[in-house]
Amino acid sequence: MCKYQISKAFQRLFVGFLFFSFIFTPSAYAIEYGGLGGRPAYPRSDNPRTESIFVHTLEAGAVQEEGVKVVNNTAEKKTVMIYAADSTPSTDGAFACKQLSETKTDVGAWIKLEKSEIVLESGTNETIPFTISVPQSASVGEHNGCILIQEKKEKVEGQTGAILSIRTGLRVVVTVPGEITRKLELVGFSLTPKQDSFLLNPLLKNTGNVSIDADVSVITRYFFGLVLKKHGGQYPVLRGETSNWNFELARPFWGGWYRSTFAVEYDQNQEASVGVKSGKELTRLEGNSIWFFSAPAPLALVIEIFVLAVLVACCWLWMRSRKRMKQIQQQWVEYEIEQGDDIQSIAKECGVSWKLLVKVNKLKPPYALRAGETIKVPPLNE
Amino acid sequence: MKLNVMAVICLVLVGVVGTAVYVFASATSNFTQTINSGTLSVDIVDGSYSPVGSPAVAMNSVGFSFSCQTATGTFGTASEQIYVQNPDAADAGWTVSIAAATTTAVWDSAGTDFDFNDPTTSGCADGADADSLSGQMTINPSGGTLAEGPCLSCSTTGVTKGSSSAFNEGTTDSITVLSGASGSDDIGNWKLTDVAISQTIPAEQPAASDYDINLTLSIVAI
Repeated sequence: MCKYQISKAFQRLFVGFLFFSFIFTPSAYAIEYGGLGGRPAYPRSDNPRTESIFVHTLEAGAVQEEGVKVVNNTAEKKTVMIYAADSTPSTDGAFACKQLSETKTDVGAWIKLEKSEIVLESGTNETIPFTISVPQSASVGEHNGCILIQEKKEKVEGQTGAILSIRTGLRVVVTVPGEITRKLELVGFSLTPKQDSFLLNPLLKNTGNVSIDADVSVITRYFFGLVLKKHGGQYPVLRGETSNWNFELARPFWGGWYRSTFAVEYDQNQEASVGVKSGKELTRLEGNSIWFFSAPAPLALVIEIFVLAVLVACCWLWMRSRKRMKQIQQQWVEYEIEQGDDIQSIAKECGVSWKLLVKVNKLKPPYALRAGETIKVPPLNE
Repeated sequence: MKLNVMAVICLVLVGVVGTAVYVFASATSNFTQTINSGTLSVDIVDGSYSPVGSPAVAMNSVGFSFSCQTATGTFGTASEQIYVQNPDAADAGWTVSIAAATTTAVWDSAGTDFDFNDPTTSGCADGADADSLSGQMTINPSGGTLAEGPCLSCSTTGVTKGSSSAFNEGTTDSITVLSGASGSDDIGNWKLTDVAISQTIPAEQPAASDYDINLTLSIVAI
């Protein structure tokens, strides 16, 4: 009987365990890094920048072997086009790549890929070897191009509007050695008010023959010099291009007068290059300051008016008190303490509060008065 | 009562051992785990960050007009967000730009086409380019809304929106949408919405509902 009960209990325990296990079994979540793109297949330890782009210094006529690792981290199998293109300046002086359809004349034409199309299963990658052949006629200085990775898609019939294709590019920097000039110039700095913010637009021109990684800094301060906001970062300024950034400054809550300054730091030494700092000739350029007024937010305005009203009231009370004290000092007369006088009896006789007597005569507790001592009292009526 | 006790025992058992992963110990047991390196990417995604299969920007419809007019549209909406991911793939920065698939592209229809990059009288007249079409498209990323994506510890520091610019064949073929400085998050994701697009439509442009143009949205590690 007992054996039967134990066995039944174990049966219930087992069924219950299974039931609750189904309910509380922990879920497994996949980490989704998404996207179709690529990375340099052979980054160099001497230049960390080569982990994300291709950087080479090559003599005219030289040939460099390279490779791009094409990665499909999407959830689907993809047919991928890989192609080279020249670079083109985008608006604001930013770096962009020309289209597949455009004629290649610079680095885009120097690159020969082993494959132009591959099929990648989800979560897989493939390294595509390529060569960069610098022509004998290549000019001294920096040349830029791109390796682009784009999904091959058929056009959807009947789709209208601006139809978007998406691609990922890796910059290819080839520097032909020779007389290298690294020089930046500040072109301008402006401020444009918007509805809820201000746009700070610094402009910087590269007058050299290589791109320069510039540390751009725009600092906005309160009227008294305290820093409100810092904008900036390191941006490449391309050869011969003028770069422009739109730093957005939210309207300061308290409002008032503010000052924004624009400064740039860069390595002017010839040994510096993309991803490599010489650390020998750090140059700093400072532009003009812009003073501007920002109206306070409505809540800030209410608080400011209240605080101002309190301050005005305090000032008025203080001035009134000072004026009264001055009148007292001028009108009150000297009185010599007699035997038996105390502060309360004098106050009663003079018809004022003993506290006022104490305040005017700057008496200290316990306010004891000695005979012969003089204090100021209101003039006694005749 | 008995049943309650059993249920409690079961719950405790499940709580203690149910959340663990079981392996049978053996002399050759081995755990392996691979996390593939991510890549810099831009995509058009819906509200739950799933890629949109065939993204397109629909311009607001306008009526036939004897004068030059402007159609507007929004690039980056709640259901088609511009989504940038940098999983430690471009520490020195990146740029997102938009351009037409060819500089000679046009708003194409079965009837008459019109241009997207002719600046003559702000797109209202035909200029010196090879085609005999007028029209100009302006994109204003600076008025867009930039925000962090689902990434938990990201910020928009170091990420800037591009200026409002109009396409101009041979002069402005690519418009910067978003830039990430080297100081932006090395591991981060961001979304951009509400980028205004306006397109001047020449006077007396024939009515049609099938105008389309191919644009390319690129992200480049710099």
